[in-house]
Amino acid sequence: MDDAMDQEKVMKIKNLTKMYGNHVGVKDLNLAVYKGEIMGFLGPNGAGKTTTIRSCLALIAKTAGEITIFGLDSHRDAVAIRKQTGYLPGDFGLIPSVKVGSYLKYLLSLSSCDSTKKMVSLAERLKLDLDRKTNELSKGNKQKVGIIQALMTDQDLIIMDEPTSSLDPLMQQEFYRIIREEKKREKTVFMASHILAEVEKVCDRVAIIREGQLKVVEEIQVLQEKTGKVLEVEFGDPVTIDEFKLKGVSEIQQDNGRFILTIHENLDGVIEAVSNHRILNMNLKTYSLEQLFLKYYAEEEDPEKGDA
Amino acid sequence: MMVGRIAYMELRTGLKGLLIFGLLVIIVSASMPLIFPTYRDSLTEELEGANKVNLELPNEQGGMITLSWEPMEGATSYMVLEDNRSSMVMAKLKYMGEETSITFEKDFEEKRYYAVMAILDETSNPVLIGIAATEKGEDPFQELMKNPAYAGFTGGRNISMLEVKGFITLEFFSWWWMLAGLFIAYLSVSVIASDFENKRMDVMFSTPISRRRYLLEKFSAMSAIALFIILIAIAGLAGGLANINALDDFSAEAVFLSLIGCLPFLMVIVAVGMLTAVFFQKVRVGMGITFAFVFAEFFLYTFGSFSKSLEWMKTISIFNYWDYSSVIIDDLFKAVDFILLTILAIVLLIIGIWVFKKKDIPA
Repeated sequence: MDDAMDQEKVMKIKNLTKMYGNHVGVKDLNLAVYKGEIMGFLGPNGAGKTTTIRSCLALIAKTAGEITIFGLDSHRDAVAIRKQTGYLPGDFGLIPSVKVGSYLKYLLSLSSCDSTKKMVSLAERLKLDLDRKTNELSKGNKQKVGIIQALMTDQDLIIMDEPTSSLDPLMQQEFYRIIREEKKREKTVFMASHILAEVEKVCDRVAIIREGQLKVVEEIQVLQEKTGKVLEVEFGDPVTIDEFKLKGVSEIQQDNGRFILTIHENLDGVIEAVSNHRILNMNLKTYSLEQLFLKYYAEEEDPEKGDA
Repeated sequence: MMVGRIAYMELRTGLKGLLIFGLLVIIVSASMPLIFPTYRDSLTEELEGANKVNLELPNEQGGMITLSWEPMEGATSYMVLEDNRSSMVMAKLKYMGEETSITFEKDFEEKRYYAVMAILDETSNPVLIGIAATEKGEDPFQELMKNPAYAGFTGGRNISMLEVKGFITLEFFSWWWMLAGLFIAYLSVSVIASDFENKRMDVMFSTPISRRRYLLEKFSAMSAIALFIILIAIAGLAGGLANINALDDFSAEAVFLSLIGCLPFLMVIVAVGMLTAVFFQKVRVGMGITFAFVFAEFFLYTFGSFSKSLEWMKTISIFNYWDYSSVIIDDLFKAVDFILLTILAIVLLIIGIWVFKKKDIPA
């Protein structure tokens, strides 16, 4: 069973810790990325997304822990891993004063890839002129060059750090389409982002990281199921908490006669249970993934605010 | 994957700057020999001027010195200046008058120089008739070369600026190391440190290129550039020498061997530049340290030439292992030195690779 699971894992991060002097970059991070999935890596700026990614690619040395990609050690077998991995850095520079096309061909040659077919088709789809000079590109066009170089060698694993930053909305849509096509071709994508809507749109699973620590790893669908309605009721007569332990109710908070219920399904059943009592006040709200996400984000942040 | 792609890209993107620098090298190296005949003639004339002034020394200490000179047409009077340096910067007035000969007591032991000048009229400046000395007169540059601060340029050899060999050794090679050395130091630091500063490393190392291969290719590109500027200097210098028909005195082979000897010398500078670049990852810091290294090596060699007790300093200077004057003056190419410097460059490169593998690439 365990072996079968292992085979599916393209990338495995075990107890990864990266310290920058006394500053914690990432602490005890455990994460697995399965073959053929699009995994979102979500977190605010400075949470440790880039540190994790760059540890995986051996651009920085990890302080502790173990990373295996395609069953290979991330550090010792870095070159072998990079033969099967495409990478879009969060921040990168291009060789100046060369044509975009010849720059990309240069990178292709470093990857021993002869075919320019994918490069050309990606450039067409993202509307990037390959005859432009690299130092004349706008931020958005530079980002397109980054996306193309990560995808053009047709690697099995694609790691991207904030791929849609500085892309206009139309290009973002085109990018999502490209990524979904890659998934259909059984490519694995690991994508860091701080934009929830983006992750919700394209990812199968999401890992949420905050202050160097992993908060949650969950399928987007499951997360979406956790969202739903929030019912706030104030009762005029005594009510026990057990009465609301019903199907579809994921969370119950009680404050004397006031109850806050998070409901995913079976709304009518819940309303029925509620209506057995005298209701002083009632409020039904929609709980979105964003609120859920903000909950993970905001956790532990309140005491800090208190200090400030 | 194609070997040499990174090196090729480096040469391609740096081509414009390299060609401009190459042009500068060829202008300087080709024109240097062309200056020589004019320089030699004027120096000879200056030295021969001494014949117009005659100095008779007494046989014993305390005797009389007689200084006489050829009269100059149109001179109203003459002036004699005395100094213990040929440069006459601290000269004192010894005589002023219409005579063409003076006699005075030799009440000193050190060497003294006498410059005789003719005063034509009150409005124009005096004209030099000649200089005479109490000991044998020397080419002022030869005297300069006895200064240990300059002896480094010639390896302590006696060199005459009246010969093309001496002229080229002093006037060309004494600054060539600075021009080529600092240019190559600047290039080798910046080709790596600017990849860090401009965040090009992440994309580079997302391809299956190892850090070792990256450094090896950059090193090869820099060595090729070093060879290129050396070959240009060889062509320029040999062409210039051919132009003044001096290839008999200074053969094309000597030009080649004396300049090719600085290839491993420059490769050591490349390796030091790359080592500092991967360690500090900043163009400015790397450049400062590499420039300091080049000058420190030069001063070690110079101080090492001051005295016997400081000679050990020479042995740890890379300048000691590129002895161009040995090729030019003694017809001896020191192949062992060439190999030693090459080995040093390779060792430094290996250290650079080792350091680079240990270092994080900053985001």
